Amino acid sequence: MPQVLRVIYSAFRMAMLHWIADPQWVIPNIIAPFIFTAVALTLFQGSTGPFGLYAVLGGGMMGMWGNTLYSSGYAIEFEKWQGTLEEVIAAPSKLMHVIAGRSVSNALFGLVNMFAVLAIAALGFKIQLGIANPLLFTVSLVLTLLSVSALGLIFASAFVLSRSALTLTNGLEIPLYIISGSMFPVALLPFWIHPAAYILGPTWGIDAIRLATSQEYASQSFWNGMNWNTAILLDLTIMSLITLGYAALATVLFKMVETRARTQGTLVEA
Amino acid sequence: MNYSQNIRVFFSSAVFSYRAQFSWLNPTMWLTMKFVLTLSQMAFFVFVGLFIRGPSVIPFIAIGNALQTVSWNTVFSVVNITSHDKWDGTLPLVLATPASRLPLFIGRAMVHVFDGMLSVVISFAFAAFIFGVDFGQANALALTFTVLLTALTMAGFGLLIGGLSFYYREPLIFANIFLFTLLIFCGINFPVQDLPQFIQPFSYAIPLTYGVSAARSAIAGATLLDIAPLLGQQLIVGLASIVLGYIFFRSFENVARKTGRIEAV
Repeated sequence: MPQVLRVIYSAFRMAMLHWIADPQWVIPNIIAPFIFTAVALTLFQGSTGPFGLYAVLGGGMMGMWGNTLYSSGYAIEFEKWQGTLEEVIAAPSKLMHVIAGRSVSNALFGLVNMFAVLAIAALGFKIQLGIANPLLFTVSLVLTLLSVSALGLIFASAFVLSRSALTLTNGLEIPLYIISGSMFPVALLPFWIHPAAYILGPTWGIDAIRLATSQEYASQSFWNGMNWNTAILLDLTIMSLITLGYAALATVLFKMVETRARTQGTLVEA
Repeated sequence: MNYSQNIRVFFSSAVFSYRAQFSWLNPTMWLTMKFVLTLSQMAFFVFVGLFIRGPSVIPFIAIGNALQTVSWNTVFSVVNITSHDKWDGTLPLVLATPASRLPLFIGRAMVHVFDGMLSVVISFAFAAFIFGVDFGQANALALTFTVLLTALTMAGFGLLIGGLSFYYREPLIFANIFLFTLLIFCGINFPVQDLPQFIQPFSYAIPLTYGVSAARSAIAGATLLDIAPLLGQQLIVGLASIVLGYIFFRSFENVARKTGRIEAV
């Protein structure tokens, strides 16, 4: 196995072991999306339209988001609490690869969270969700998962230098749910927020996931009037390009942050 | 211990717990949380409500979420005091002190009550200036009293959950769960009557439910006298939670002393 993949896999495995050793921390990660979905579904009672689709898929998406964002902050903070961040940075493996493995593991937990939200919506609120195109749904989900993980890497690089990574995480969580239009169309937001929505990979990911779930959603998609499959592929192409951009940016940021932490000796103070 | 000593313990606990907060939350972050968290939570639910039910629900949701922000201070921060004592290794010292527990216990929550009220004021400003909620008819006295009573009574819940710190390793998990469930149970985003019948008794066991309802009435112009029955019920529920919280605090303390598990959990 190439060295990079080995580091990512080891970090992934380590993160999984941490969660298994201390599973209680899964609860705060998953509680917000559950509650937000439940609130939306309660508001949705008695209404007609694709609101259930928005609520359930949005809730699941938020699960992935929240988990990745939270764990990006937590991964760094945890190392600081344990006094092991210096060792992780001093190791010959790149910090970014270590964090990448953790981000993927946490996004994967988020995926489980998504399915849990779907199950609760189906059982508790009797929401019927058929998937129109399972293949495109799966591809959309996996690519969104990667996009969320890549965004988590950018946040993690900033968290290395911050003393308040967890606080930042708490502060960023809901704004990201809003800007990506996880539970309502981006069009509802003020126009000056739209550019921020469009540079978030998950904004396109959730559009593709909704499209792959139901053709009825097509009229509310970014690609209204376009062929259904083409619309999904366009969403996925844009999201993939953004994800590559995130990965490139994260590489540069990690290098900068690592260099700064080493030369200025600010790692322990932060 | 005499009366003046109790007052001193009360105030020193209040000031110290507030200062201790900044060991984990620096002032810049404190401001960020005060403005970003309050606005973003309100905005999220306002947009969801706007999308599903239209503009008529905006004032209902904005006011509900504004009042719910008080819980971040009065529940989360209050629980965090004991948690941090444990992480920092100061909990045994606190328990070894001869200071009377009641002023110590209530004093620790007191500054968070005022901090929580500040969050509500900021949120009301967002509701008015960003989401267009009309405060023109609001009865200032009734609204101020409602916010104060809600903050005080919710602090009782914070102390209740904080008592779990003695017996459970991560009481913040309870605080997290409790804070989010308030969004469902307390009529924040939709009326309590929309909940299934079997859940509604839980809603009425939480002081925030009465506070949110009273605040909506006060903003619509109701006087203090008009909302007195609601506030009376809120006071009863709030006092019960403070008493229960204190009993929990003492009993958990005793169990932790007997079993020597203060720092083991």
